[in-house]
Amino acid sequence: MNNIFKFAIYIFLTLAFAWLAFFVGAKNQYGDLEPTSEYLEENKSVPKDADLFPKSMSGNAQLGAKEYLSLGCVTCHTQQVRTIDAGFDVERGWGQRPSVPRDYILQKEVLLGHNRVGPDLANIGLRGYTREWLHKHLFNPQILVEGSICQPSPFLYDVANEYSTGAINADNEADDNASTIFIKPTLRANRIVSYLESLKQDYELPEMSFIETQDEDAEDVEDVEDVILAEESTTKEAQSGVPTWLADQIASGKEIYSKITPGGGMCVGCHLPNGLGQPGAIPPLDGSDWVLGDKERLIKISIHGLMGEVVVNGKKYVGAMQGFGQTLGSPLNDQQIADVLTYIRNEWGNSVSAISPEEVKAVRDSHKNRELTSMWTEAELQKQNSSD
Amino acid sequence: MNKTSEQQIDQSAKFAFSFFVASAGLWLLAAALLAYIAAAKLTDPLLLSSWEYFTYGKIKISQANAFVYGWGGNSIFAVSLWIIARLSQSPIRGTVFLIFAGAIWNLAITSGLLGILDGHMLGHELLEMPKEVWPALFISYIIIAFLILVVFRSRRQKVTIAPQWFIIAALIWFPCLFLFAWNGLEINVGRGTLQSILSMWFGQNIIWLWLTPVALGCAYYIIPSVLNRPIDKYYLAIFGFWCIAGLAPWSVVHHLEGGPVPMWVPAVGTVMSIAMVFPIAVASTNFHATAFKDVSRVWNYLPLRFVIFGTLSYTISSYIGVIFSIPAVAKLTQFSIINEFHFNQRVYGFFSMIIFGLVYHILPQVTGKEIGTAAKNFHFWTSALGVFALLLAYLIGGLTHGVLAQQPTLAWITVIDSVKPYFLITEFAFIILGFSQLVFVLNLWKVIVPNPFSCCEKNVEQKTA
Repeated sequence: MNNIFKFAIYIFLTLAFAWLAFFVGAKNQYGDLEPTSEYLEENKSVPKDADLFPKSMSGNAQLGAKEYLSLGCVTCHTQQVRTIDAGFDVERGWGQRPSVPRDYILQKEVLLGHNRVGPDLANIGLRGYTREWLHKHLFNPQILVEGSICQPSPFLYDVANEYSTGAINADNEADDNASTIFIKPTLRANRIVSYLESLKQDYELPEMSFIETQDEDAEDVEDVEDVILAEESTTKEAQSGVPTWLADQIASGKEIYSKITPGGGMCVGCHLPNGLGQPGAIPPLDGSDWVLGDKERLIKISIHGLMGEVVVNGKKYVGAMQGFGQTLGSPLNDQQIADVLTYIRNEWGNSVSAISPEEVKAVRDSHKNRELTSMWTEAELQKQNSSD
Repeated sequence: MNKTSEQQIDQSAKFAFSFFVASAGLWLLAAALLAYIAAAKLTDPLLLSSWEYFTYGKIKISQANAFVYGWGGNSIFAVSLWIIARLSQSPIRGTVFLIFAGAIWNLAITSGLLGILDGHMLGHELLEMPKEVWPALFISYIIIAFLILVVFRSRRQKVTIAPQWFIIAALIWFPCLFLFAWNGLEINVGRGTLQSILSMWFGQNIIWLWLTPVALGCAYYIIPSVLNRPIDKYYLAIFGFWCIAGLAPWSVVHHLEGGPVPMWVPAVGTVMSIAMVFPIAVASTNFHATAFKDVSRVWNYLPLRFVIFGTLSYTISSYIGVIFSIPAVAKLTQFSIINEFHFNQRVYGFFSMIIFGLVYHILPQVTGKEIGTAAKNFHFWTSALGVFALLLAYLIGGLTHGVLAQQPTLAWITVIDSVKPYFLITEFAFIILGFSQLVFVLNLWKVIVPNPFSCCEKNVEQKTA
C-alpha cells in the first residue's frame, strides 16, 4: 500500500474485474441476440416465413425516444416489467409477460429507469389509449387524471380558442368556468406520442411466454388458469372449486409445456401455445381424443414417444415425437410428466381428470424392458389397447 | 520546527483550498435551489410548467449532477488536498494549475447543466451531462488528481495510514470508472440493456467509490487527530478498506433485480451487497468505539459533532440499504421513492455532514479566521433537523409507495395520492436545508473572500494614527 503505483494497480483491478464480468461477460452472453420468431422449430431454428420480434421502431418513434429522453421522463417512468418472483408487475397489468433483454435489442436509447412515481410505460402502446388521449395527457395530465402529479408540457402544443384542422379539444372538464381550448400538436409532440404508441411487448418469445393473470377473465370461474395465482388463498379456492393441489399441478405443467430450454418439455415448440398443432404433421391437443381419452396410452407416448401415422379426431397426421423418459436431452421425471399431462388435459377447452405421478410410475415400470429410444407406433398402441 | 512546517503547508494550501471550498459552496446552493424546485413541482405540478427548461425530469437530474460533481467534486478536491498535504508533511505545489483546472471543472459543469436544461441530456445515470463537456471534466480532473498525488509521493513518512488509502483510492477510482463507463456507453456502445447495466454500475459506483471513500477517509483523519487518541481496533481498518474496494463494484447492480438483464447480474449484486455488512461494521466500530470514549469532546467540538452525525447516519442507513437489497424486500421497495432515501442519506446525511465538519475544522487553520459559533450551531441543528425530516419522509413514504404499488387492484393514482403527504414533508425539509446551507455558504464566503473595504479601513486607520 505504500507504493503508489502498486496501490493504483490494485485499485484499478478492483474495478476492472467487476467491469469484466458486468460488461464483457454480459456482452458475450448477449452476443448474437437477434430478433426471433415467437416459437422455434424442434431444432431451435426459426420457422420459415415467421414474423420476427421485436420489430424495430418507426423513424418517427425513434425521434420520439430522443424527445422523451431530453425531457427527462425517465426520472419517473420505468420501462420494464419485472419477473414474477421480483414483483407484482404482471398482476398489476404493466405487461402480459416479464420483459427480457431481447425486447430492447433494437432500441438506441434504452430507458429502463428505476423509479416509478408514474406508471410503467413498457406496454403503454397496449393499453388502448387513443392518440388524442395521449396528446391531452401530455398537454395537461390533470384534466384527464385528477390528482396526477405528472409534469404538464404545454410548450409542445399550439394553443388556440378556436378549432382548426388537426386540433384537439382539451377542455378542463372538472372546471366549468374554464374556457374552450384547442391544442394543435407540434412535430415534437407527435413524435413523442408515436414513441409511446410503439412501446408494446405484445409478442411472445422463445424464452418468455405470456403469463395469464387473474383479472383478465375474473368472472370466468371455469378458466382454471385464473386459479393458479390464487393458489395461496383458500377463500378463492372455495369460490372457483379447484383444489390447490390441482392448480399447482397445472401451473407447473404449464411451465414445463412452455419451457424450451433444458429442464422443460419443449411441447410448445410443436403443439403451439394454443394446442392446435399443425395440420398433417403435429396433432392438436385441444379437444384431442388421445389427450382426453385413455390415460395409459397418453403416458406411454410421453415416456417413449410416437412415430409414424396417427389418426386424431378422424384426421391423419404423419410425424414423430421424441419420448421424454429418455436420458438424452432433458428427461422428465414422473412428477413432471404427470404435471404436464394434467395441464394439457385441463387447458384450452379440455377439462378432465388429473394424472398422478403414481400412475406414470406404474406405466414406466411395466415397460421397463423397452428401450427408451424406441418410439411407439399407432398400430402397437391400438393392439395393446384392444388386448387389455 | 514541526509547528512552522504545518503552518507552511496550510499557507501553501490556502489559495487552492479556498477556491475549491468557495465554489463547492456555490454549487451547494444551486443544488439546494434545484432540489427545492423539484420537490415543489411534485406538490404542485403546474409550477414553472410552461417553461420547457424546467421540466421535473430536467430539474431533478441537474440537481443530482450539481450536487455530485459541483458540491461533491469541489469539496473532495478541497479536503483531499489539505488532508493529503498535512499527512504527507509536504506543501502543495502548482497552485496555478490547480486553480486553472478547477476553473475548467466548474465551467464544464455549468455548461453541462445548462445543456441538460436545454434538452441535450444523455440517458445514463450521473453521466447525463452532454457529451461535449466530459473531455474537459476528465482532463481538469486528471490535472487536479495528479497534483494531489504529487504531494502524496513526496511524503516524509513512507508508511501510509487509513485516511490516505481511502482518499487516494477515491482519486484513482473516479477516472477509471469514468473510462470504463464511457467506453461502454459512448465508444463501443453496448447493445440493448447492456447499457442499462453499465449506467447503473457507474451511477451507483460514483457514490460508493468516490464520495463514500473520501468521507470515510475524512472521518479516519479527523477523529483521532482531534481526540488525540488512536483509532480503536485500527487493525480492522485495512480489512474494511479492501472489503469496500472488493465488494462495492459488484454490489451496486442489485437495483436491477427482476429486470430485463441476465439473471446472474442482480443475483451477484444482491449477494455482494449483503456482504457489505462487513466493511460497514468495521468503519462503524472504528469510528464510534473511538469517539464514544470522549463524548464530551465530540459534543463540544462542532466539526467533530458534524462528522459523528455523518458516520452514525452512514452506519444506520447502510444497514437499512443492506436490508432493502434482500430480494423479498426489494420486491416492495425497488422502484419506490426509497431510491431517493438512498441517494439523500448518502449525499446529505453522510457525505455532506462530514464535509461540513471538515470545512469548519480546516478553515480556521488555513485562513486564520473563525466562523461565529452561533452561525455554526444554527447550521448544525437545521442540517440535522432537515436531514432527519427528509430521510424519514422518504423512508416511510417509500415504504408506503412500495407496499401500495404491489396491490394489483389499487388504481395507480390512489397509490400516488397516499404518497403526496410525504412529498410535502420533503418540500419543507428542502426549505430548511436550503436556509441552513445559505447560512453556511454566506459565512464561508465572508471568511474566504477578503472584504474589499478592509484595505480602505486600514488606510483610514493609518491616516488617523
